[in-house]
Amino acid sequence: MEDYPEELRTPPVGLIALVGCPEHHSLITTHLLSEQPPSNTLALPDIAKISLLLSSADKSSLPPPDPSSSPTAGILKRDWLHKHRTRVPAVVAALFISDHVSGDPAQWLQLCSDLENLKAVIRPKNIKLAVVVVHSSSDDISEDRMIALRKRAELDSKYLVVFNPADSSQLEQSLNKLGSTFAELANTYYRDEGRRIKTRVERKSFNSIELNIRYCFKVAVSAEFRRDWVEALRFYEDAYYTLREMIGTANRLPVIQRLIEIKTVAEQLHFKISTLLLHGGKVIEAVTWFHQHFASYRKLLGPAEAIFLHWEWVSRQFLVFAELLETSSKTIHSNSSPALGTSERSLTEWKFQPAYYYQLAGHYLKEKRTSFELALSMLQNADEIDGSAESVTPAIYVGQFARLLEQGDAFVMQPLTDEEYTRYAIAEAKRFQDSFEIIALLKRSYESYTNLKAQRMASRCGFQMAQEYFAMGDLNNAKQLLDVIAALYRKEGWVTLLWEVLGFLRECSRKRGIVKEFIEYSLEMAALPVSPCTGVQSFRTKECGPAGPASLAQRENIHNEVFQLVSGEIGAVSVGDSTDLKVNRDSPLHLEIDLVSPLRMALLASVAFHEQIIKPGVPALITLSLLSQLPLTVDLDQLEVQFNQSECNFIIINSQKPPSAEISTSQQGRHVESAPSLALVTNKWLRLTYEIKSEQSGKLECIYVIAKMGPHFTICCRAESPASMDDLPLWKFEDRVETFPTKDPVLAFSGQKLAQVEEPDPQVDLVLGATGPALVGECFVVPVTVASKGHDIFSGELKINLVDVRGGGLFSPREAEPFSMDNHHVELLGVNGPEGEDESTGGYDKIKKIQQSFGLVSLPIMKDGESWSCKLEIKWHRPKPIMLFVSLSYFPDSNEMTSQKIHVHKNLQIEGKSAVLISHHFMLPFRQDPLLLSKLKPASSSDQGTSLPLNETSIVLASAKNCSEVPLQLQSMSIEMDDDVERSFTLQPSSEDLLGPAYLVPGEEFKKVFTIIPEVESSNLNLGSVSLRWRRNLQNKDRSSSAAEAWVLTRHKLPDVNVELSPLVLTVDCPPYAILGDPFTYSVKIRNQTQLLQEVKFSLADAQSFVLSGSHSDTVFVLPKSEHVLGYKIVPLASGLQQLPRVTVTSVRYSAVFQLSNAASTVFVFPTKPHFKTADVGDKGIESVVAE
Amino acid sequence: MIVCVAVIGHQNNPLYIQSFTEADDALKLHHIVHCSLDVVEERVNNPKKSGPTLNETFLGLLYPTENYKVYGYLTNTKVKFILVTTDLDVRDADVRNFFRRFHAAYVDAVSNPFHVPGKKITSKTFAERVSNIVKSFGLSSAS
Repeated sequence: MEDYPEELRTPPVGLIALVGCPEHHSLITTHLLSEQPPSNTLALPDIAKISLLLSSADKSSLPPPDPSSSPTAGILKRDWLHKHRTRVPAVVAALFISDHVSGDPAQWLQLCSDLENLKAVIRPKNIKLAVVVVHSSSDDISEDRMIALRKRAELDSKYLVVFNPADSSQLEQSLNKLGSTFAELANTYYRDEGRRIKTRVERKSFNSIELNIRYCFKVAVSAEFRRDWVEALRFYEDAYYTLREMIGTANRLPVIQRLIEIKTVAEQLHFKISTLLLHGGKVIEAVTWFHQHFASYRKLLGPAEAIFLHWEWVSRQFLVFAELLETSSKTIHSNSSPALGTSERSLTEWKFQPAYYYQLAGHYLKEKRTSFELALSMLQNADEIDGSAESVTPAIYVGQFARLLEQGDAFVMQPLTDEEYTRYAIAEAKRFQDSFEIIALLKRSYESYTNLKAQRMASRCGFQMAQEYFAMGDLNNAKQLLDVIAALYRKEGWVTLLWEVLGFLRECSRKRGIVKEFIEYSLEMAALPVSPCTGVQSFRTKECGPAGPASLAQRENIHNEVFQLVSGEIGAVSVGDSTDLKVNRDSPLHLEIDLVSPLRMALLASVAFHEQIIKPGVPALITLSLLSQLPLTVDLDQLEVQFNQSECNFIIINSQKPPSAEISTSQQGRHVESAPSLALVTNKWLRLTYEIKSEQSGKLECIYVIAKMGPHFTICCRAESPASMDDLPLWKFEDRVETFPTKDPVLAFSGQKLAQVEEPDPQVDLVLGATGPALVGECFVVPVTVASKGHDIFSGELKINLVDVRGGGLFSPREAEPFSMDNHHVELLGVNGPEGEDESTGGYDKIKKIQQSFGLVSLPIMKDGESWSCKLEIKWHRPKPIMLFVSLSYFPDSNEMTSQKIHVHKNLQIEGKSAVLISHHFMLPFRQDPLLLSKLKPASSSDQGTSLPLNETSIVLASAKNCSEVPLQLQSMSIEMDDDVERSFTLQPSSEDLLGPAYLVPGEEFKKVFTIIPEVESSNLNLGSVSLRWRRNLQNKDRSSSAAEAWVLTRHKLPDVNVELSPLVLTVDCPPYAILGDPFTYSVKIRNQTQLLQEVKFSLADAQSFVLSGSHSDTVFVLPKSEHVLGYKIVPLASGLQQLPRVTVTSVRYSAVFQLSNAASTVFVFPTKPHFKTADVGDKGIESVVAE
Repeated sequence: MIVCVAVIGHQNNPLYIQSFTEADDALKLHHIVHCSLDVVEERVNNPKKSGPTLNETFLGLLYPTENYKVYGYLTNTKVKFILVTTDLDVRDADVRNFFRRFHAAYVDAVSNPFHVPGKKITSKTFAERVSNIVKSFGLSSAS
């Protein structure tokens, strides 16, 4: 598009000539350019010069167009458009200074003559005139002179403009006025011109088609000047159609040049039409128009020697249209994108893409190159054509060329013959670098497609580009492109296309002398699944690239070539004609094939362990399977299998081939296996099974399988697990026989290239000896014994962990808050070393870390057969089962670097139980009943704890029950105060050990009675707690350690009691027994402890077994701080346990009723007087018996 | 005249591609078929552009080259059929009809229990049948 002249590419702009008053020209010019629509100006300082300008412009078109003249020489004049845009103004604006207008007569006359001259010049060309009077001074221009001026100029009054540059307020206004006046005049001019020529077209007042076309063109251009796009388009189209009619009649000589002229004109017309259509947003019409244009001219090849000109022209059409589309799609993008494909059936989205046209432009330029080469070969003296001697230039008509001859001082155009023209064209074309142009075009297309994400189309363009680069010898660019394209074809499995691309790549690397790439591409090509049928059917040598036809035979050729090269045979001769491709001692070749390499087709290694878990030192089976899709059988010299544990690496040598010296030197100290044959047959697994042994525990993974072929060629293939192996690329689409990499199909689906090597078995016993459940509070001892049975122990470590069985929560140090011992219901107190061993004498670096639930103890070095033991001391604070984990880790070898750590784990669940259950019971003395006011209140009685009377004896009965499963030994039971509390009551017995240890068998209960006399009135008197000291009753099997066994103290907190003064105390006095018929005294004492007079009612109920004397019921008053006694004399009438008469005492003041309990009001009546040994039985014994 | 037909699999890999020309342009046809997949992809990804019928299998004219017209067809299993013809004036009905018959042939071929889905179609019967369909292209409607 840039090749076109400026006037063709841009829409025409009206031209206005300014004459006179040059000082104002720039101002007016700028203003007119900024107008909408803009106008160009032609500024002439002197009025006299206008005649020169116009006459010179006239001279070229001196012979006026005479319709009658014989055959027109051409269709369009080359400079016509240019002339109208730059030299022939539509309007001439004459600027006069107002002084001159209104000045003296001489000035006026001069002005008039200037005007006359101007009129004379412009009239024949119909150029419009405008007169501008520049207001130079303040005085007004006389009206008469203005009218006179107007008449002189023969102008309408509106075309006489007064321009006032001095006054800034009027400047804008007058400039606008100028603009609109000029625009109007220019419009009129172009309309008149158009109309004038149009009438000629309509009248058909011409005798040649050329003129018809020319007139149509002119009408269209003048319409364009007026911005009448519709008419412009119509007349351009008319011109174009008329031109097409010429094609049929265009057999006039010279044929080639004639055709060129027609095509050039058609090109210009087409360009105009396309531009107008696209600017109007009519993309579909433009595209359709282009295709019509192309269709009507594509067959016009012309004579054979000039065909290349045709293709060049076609290519240019595509290029220009592509550029037009591109620029227009930028400006009117919104219009081009919507769904147009549906409305117009034959159009698809791709037709709107410039990329498509660029691609075709490149394609036709290639076509041009081919036919140009053909044309060159047809000329015998092609080499002599160099074009330097020629002086051929474009002629005055568009698309014509002429020889420029110098005749004197003038140049004369001499028409060319076709032969001369062809020579000229060929000379021109020889200077032209087609390849660069083609690459540039394809690159634009490539980039455009890439932006559109049309990767396949882009690939095709890229491939064409790469072919050009390859042809030009720019191998780096070619390779870069081809690699990208090959990746796409590989991914999508387009084998035939890939074959072509690889063929080019292979040649690139061959020419660049890069052996590794050459071998890689060759191997990939050889392993491609080129199906035999397509190979035979389609590709013949002419079409295909350097790869040759895609066929099995060609694959075999490539295969042989590669293996001859790598084996160092003379194959290098056939390969390296330009550069040396060698594989030898100096330049060995090492290829790597990873999991995504395309060379997996050439060699695939799969490795499977037969067992997932293998024992150290025990041989395990491993199957190595190799697969190749190369067309011919490959004989491997040697295989090396590499593991992550390098000691397991081994080499497989081919027993059919004698190991070369180089191989044998590299095998020093390696494990070597040999295989009967290492031949890789096409699509057949080579399966090899060997035993390997690993001494080191952990992961054992096969990493590489390295195949050696020939002395200097190795392929390092990453090992793959059969279970997770991907299909072979490309071959997965082929219908081929697929077999498993291993014989065992299960292994083929589940086999892994890695296995876990176990730790060696420990040969050490770890014994946890615990006896029975632990008791809360005691220091429970768990003996741990480590006994070596075959292994020496170095750097042994014992880890101890206590874990909650139920919650699973570990008593980890993190959880343990430092202040709260209570959080640890179970605690590891310590670890005692083996008996008899003093810690200071331990010859080892003793590490001992004890935390509440975790312990770490280091062990001394032990020889085989020795044993070591220690004791764990664990204390339970609450009854709870726990799990004790003990793990031992050690090295069986003194060298820690080489040997493996061995672990032994043991665990034991230990139940923690409470040993004793302590309970208590409060009682009052027998037959004594103090009135406690707090008991009277029914509401408070429920939540109130125990109440004790002040200064009266109360009894606490403490009992301890053995609820464990072992007998216990008790040392003492006492009531002890908490440390900081002072005792505020009298206690009997205060602290008194048992006479000897008391034994308590499981389930038995031990009781002890304490009497308490509270001395302080208090609502919550602290009574302290019951403390019991006990220990396991170790039987005869205990060892001497029983002496060290500590007494365990278990405490039971007594509740706080309420101590209050009782106002009345009722005591019943009665002998301990009675004898039948013997009278005895039964008295009820009522003691008033208050300062008040107490009224007491009492009543006595008769009893059958007794006769009594005394008042049955009465009301008595007890004086303050005194005692009233109700006495009765009673004679028992029946023997045995008898109920005494019931006395009911009611305190009126407190409305409280006393009544003795049944037990308290019962007496045993002997028939006769018994005989007691009265020495040692006191009241106490009887009381305690009664209490039970 | 039909110059090339192709069956394209899920990964845009050719399952069957056969050209019917005397000239040495099989490779070019392969390229054309491959390029047309871009258009198919675009049509499938932007279903709005492919017209009102959502479940239409026939994709219509994909890609005009200077000498060929390329038509596409997408089966419900997302297998693509591509047709390359040199006829400049092709009736839609003919193409539709062709694809219908081609589809039937394809279904029969892949129904073969010995055919592994996703692999290339190597059946000779299929090839023969396709070649017959290609030969009769355009004839049925003319009669």
